Amino acid sequence: MFRFENVYQEPLEDLNFTINQKDKVILFGPSGAGKSTLLFLLNRLSDPERGQIYYEGEPIQNHPIIDLRKKVGLVLQAPNLFPGTVLDNIKYGPSLVGNWKNSEGKKLLEYVQLPSSYLERDVDQLSGGEKQRVSLARTLANSPEVLLLDEPTSALDYRTAEEIEEVLKELIEEHQLTMLMVTHNLSQARRLGDRGLFLKDGRLQEDGKIPDMLDHPKTSQLAEFIEQ
Amino acid sequence: MAPEISNQSLIFLVIFVIVPLTLSYYYQLGVSKNVLWSTLRGTVQLFAIGYILTFLFDLPASYGIPFMLTVMIIIATLHARQRGKELPYVGFVIFAGLTIIELGVLSLWLVFDMIEFRPSEVVPMSGMVIGNSMTAMGLSLERMKSEFKENHGRLLASLSLGAEPKQASHLIVQKTLHASLIPNVDRLKTIGLVQLPGMMTGLILGGVSPVMAIKYQLVISLSIFSSVSLSAMFITLAMYRYFFNTNKQLLQSDEEIRSSRSK
Repeated sequence: MFRFENVYQEPLEDLNFTINQKDKVILFGPSGAGKSTLLFLLNRLSDPERGQIYYEGEPIQNHPIIDLRKKVGLVLQAPNLFPGTVLDNIKYGPSLVGNWKNSEGKKLLEYVQLPSSYLERDVDQLSGGEKQRVSLARTLANSPEVLLLDEPTSALDYRTAEEIEEVLKELIEEHQLTMLMVTHNLSQARRLGDRGLFLKDGRLQEDGKIPDMLDHPKTSQLAEFIEQ
Repeated sequence: MAPEISNQSLIFLVIFVIVPLTLSYYYQLGVSKNVLWSTLRGTVQLFAIGYILTFLFDLPASYGIPFMLTVMIIIATLHARQRGKELPYVGFVIFAGLTIIELGVLSLWLVFDMIEFRPSEVVPMSGMVIGNSMTAMGLSLERMKSEFKENHGRLLASLSLGAEPKQASHLIVQKTLHASLIPNVDRLKTIGLVQLPGMMTGLILGGVSPVMAIKYQLVISLSIFSSVSLSAMFITLAMYRYFFNTNKQLLQSDEEIRSSRSK
């Protein structure tokens, strides 16, 4: 689905790897390793200085950028909701092209396990976990093929994080999505991922199956990271 | 007509300076030198501008007015562009905006016979419009920059969902315009209640009847209101696009903004 060829974009250096359809990839590594930068490259919020990224066999910049951003949905670390109601937020993407049907609202909230009565609720009245669910629903409203998640539970308490994890698990299975998720939480990586990419100092240090790579790290860098 | 202020009377104004000077000395505030220097400088500046204005007002309107308006717009442009130096073409956009707005307002004044095409009428009235528009443009630029910084996450979220830069900036543009227009609306609401506007006070002191002074004040206040609103809208709508590159990506730093259009 994605192929990276010698991609360089500060702090990432010479990345070469492929992500296949329906892969559930966990990106992990210390802070500053370039994990979020990598997600931004896939949604084209930024472009690499050197190298090439391919999406479905075509250089990523050959895809119309707006269509690409809708197909490759991104959920940021902070929910960054827009002022207004839950409905205003979740219809945002489809409304940009006049493609919103009101019946969708209830369905999207069901996906993220929120009651439909929340549609008219002001986003300022929501808890941290609820906001992140709305942010997820907002991305899902574009019917993406790929879901990029940038530490979506890092700002939440343990229990809320687990609830969001459950939501994600079901969504990814049900919609057959390809997932790339950045997390620092290795237990979460085990629960949600089937493949891991370990980044350090901008380089891909290890690429393997989860849980194998976490149980038997091949590099000393990964072993050290797991021990921390 | 108000009595003429004699030079001797002006000298007695020194009393107004002696009071703060004495207080400064008594409380050891250390601003005595500053007070003296500011008073002297202000007096010289005002007299100088008085003589320059007398000379300029005597010029024939056909070239005196365009010359003075051009000078005022250039100075206003140089001043306002300081607030958005990192934005490409900002000077040109401000200059164009001020020129269009000033010409529009001036045409209305002349078409509806509100003022005569004489330097002594056009220049002070235009000065107020250009000065207020300059401030509005500078403040809008500053506000827009801080809104872009503050709403960085929301802008990224919006772009990532497939918004065009124009759609993603909608909230920023809205907030900037709101912030720029509110003081303008408030000023108009309280006009004459909180303080008598300077121009009206001047006309009354000059011997013009209060009703006539109010008519002039209304002309200038409404002209300022509309030109300030237009200036804020013009600069905001013209400049938001420079916070994005041609790939519809949000530029992260002043350096990126500066170099984005030269690539």
